[in-house]
Amino acid sequence: MTILDDHLKISDLRFRFAGQTADLFRVEHLALAPGQTLGIRGASGAGKTTLLHCLAGIEPVSAGSIRWGGQEISSLSPSALTRWRQQHLGLVFQDFHLVEGLSALDNVLLPASFSAWRPTSMLRERADALLKRVDIGSPSRPAELLSRGERQRVAVARALLFEPKIVLADEPTASLDPENRHTVSRLLLDLAREHGATLIVISHDAALLEQLDGQLELRDGALHTLESVHV
Amino acid sequence: MFNPFPVAIADYRRNRLLVAITLALIAIAVAIGVAVIAQERALRQGSARAADDFDLLIGAPGSPTQLVLTSVYLKLQSIPLVSGKILAQATTAPGVRYAAPIAFGDNHQGYPIVGTIQDFANRGGTMPPSAGRLFAHRGEAVIGARVPLEISSVIHPEHGQHHADAGDKEQEHHEHAVIYTVVGRLPPRHNIWDTAILVPVEDVWAIHELPTGHARGSVQIGPPWDSARLPGVPAIAVKPESVSAAYGLRGKFRSTESMALFPAEVLNELYGTLGDVRDLMSLLALATQALVVLAVLLALLVGFLARVRQFAVLRAIGASSAYVFCVIWLEVSVLVASGAVLGLALGYGTSWVLSGWIATRIGFTLPPSMGYEELLLAASLAGIGLIIATLPALLSLRQPIAEGLKA
Repeated sequence: MTILDDHLKISDLRFRFAGQTADLFRVEHLALAPGQTLGIRGASGAGKTTLLHCLAGIEPVSAGSIRWGGQEISSLSPSALTRWRQQHLGLVFQDFHLVEGLSALDNVLLPASFSAWRPTSMLRERADALLKRVDIGSPSRPAELLSRGERQRVAVARALLFEPKIVLADEPTASLDPENRHTVSRLLLDLAREHGATLIVISHDAALLEQLDGQLELRDGALHTLESVHV
Repeated sequence: MFNPFPVAIADYRRNRLLVAITLALIAIAVAIGVAVIAQERALRQGSARAADDFDLLIGAPGSPTQLVLTSVYLKLQSIPLVSGKILAQATTAPGVRYAAPIAFGDNHQGYPIVGTIQDFANRGGTMPPSAGRLFAHRGEAVIGARVPLEISSVIHPEHGQHHADAGDKEQEHHEHAVIYTVVGRLPPRHNIWDTAILVPVEDVWAIHELPTGHARGSVQIGPPWDSARLPGVPAIAVKPESVSAAYGLRGKFRSTESMALFPAEVLNELYGTLGDVRDLMSLLALATQALVVLAVLLALLVGFLARVRQFAVLRAIGASSAYVFCVIWLEVSVLVASGAVLGLALGYGTSWVLSGWIATRIGFTLPPSMGYEELLLAASLAGIGLIIATLPALLSLRQPIAEGLKA
């Protein structure tokens, strides 16, 4: 694995679902500097989530290149992609996707169990600190007993456990009430900036998008600039 | 090294009811099989042990099974008597250590009174009383380990057999004038003979107004008997001096006047019949297990399909496919293996309870034990479970993450 400089560079990216005759989207060129934050919006079905999945190496691209820190992720083997995601990527979903039956703390520490029998004391301390930072008062509470806002805050903490340099969030505030929307937006941005992470957010939340460095709209299969960003 | 346990345990917690039902299904299926096998073996061992004291039986020509049931298991019923002449011949035949008449017909509070000789009571000196002494005179009795009487107790024999499970109306008995005094207690044999009251056979004959094998007025007990004064008896238990003598005696007393048999042979025939029943029951138990395995498999597949998204999320946030494979495999395997172990314990426990209950009805102790067959049964089910567990786990490997996230 090459050393990342946490810089995203997309070239001639195309995505087409199997059996389809037309591309869902094309991205001729997109570059982000380390620590930059970008919002992507678009109508339902435009392909925003699929684009995010391509950027996360979850969905294989039909053509083109996605380089994170100089690493061409489409050339990585499945196992190398898994390692890459674990080491460099934090993912936040619209529906949180916490593991019910585990406490808030254990959910944050869950990614640690993917590569170690038990988390190091350093990781435990970090998980505790993250939960305090996202204002979860009872880390031992089971995930299923947390409110929606709390769940998304725990999910944000989970995404940041390994201090990833890339954070991808898919509609992180869509299922929250206005108050929690504001809190989660603030936390996501603050934590990403504190860690110098590049943040890409798919969202319809205007208040969240306005706080980002730039915004793009995925429309008619292409990204269109809305604010100043290196495109 | 990854750790799939947190997710597996969380899944168990989340699906407590489903887990409990699946576990119970597997455990019950295993328990049924284990109980059937263990009980059949216990029955075989228990009945064989009960027959240990009867190397060779001589009776009047008739049903061998009836002779064995009557004498070995004290399932007292009317059987033809073998003549006193045969008893006299058996007593003095070469190769005989002792030939003991088994004469019954009376009871005391339901405990059968059996007339015999000292040699049979103490099994040729190998089983001395655990308390007191053997009967040495007419009117004395030595009781089995489970007869609830004290030494020196007085027994008033009643004529007839006491059917504990029949209504009072079916009990036909009347008290005799003779009384016995308990002089000793025998050590436990773990069979129906522990409930027997052994008395000199001469007393039984006398009570029934038969000659006693001795001169009128004689108080002698046991052989030698005067063959001209010997009445018939239901059975003669012969202790041969050797195996070859046993075969010789069996041949000698197979005639138009008597039959001689090894109870073990009769039991083997019974086991043959029981074996067919056991095979049938084992087949039913196996079918039950197959159905349970099928049900578990379906439940697992449904469970897997319901959790496709969870596994995709795990993959998306950094879990390897091996991790997800292990989570699924572990969940199913632990469930099936635990069910199998629980089923073993449950089956063994059931076997204990059944043994106790059956023992009171058939008159000999069933020694339940864990055998190779039960372990094989549980291990087979667990093994099948481990293999089945790979199916949903393999499915997870084929599931693209992106598709799973959309599920």
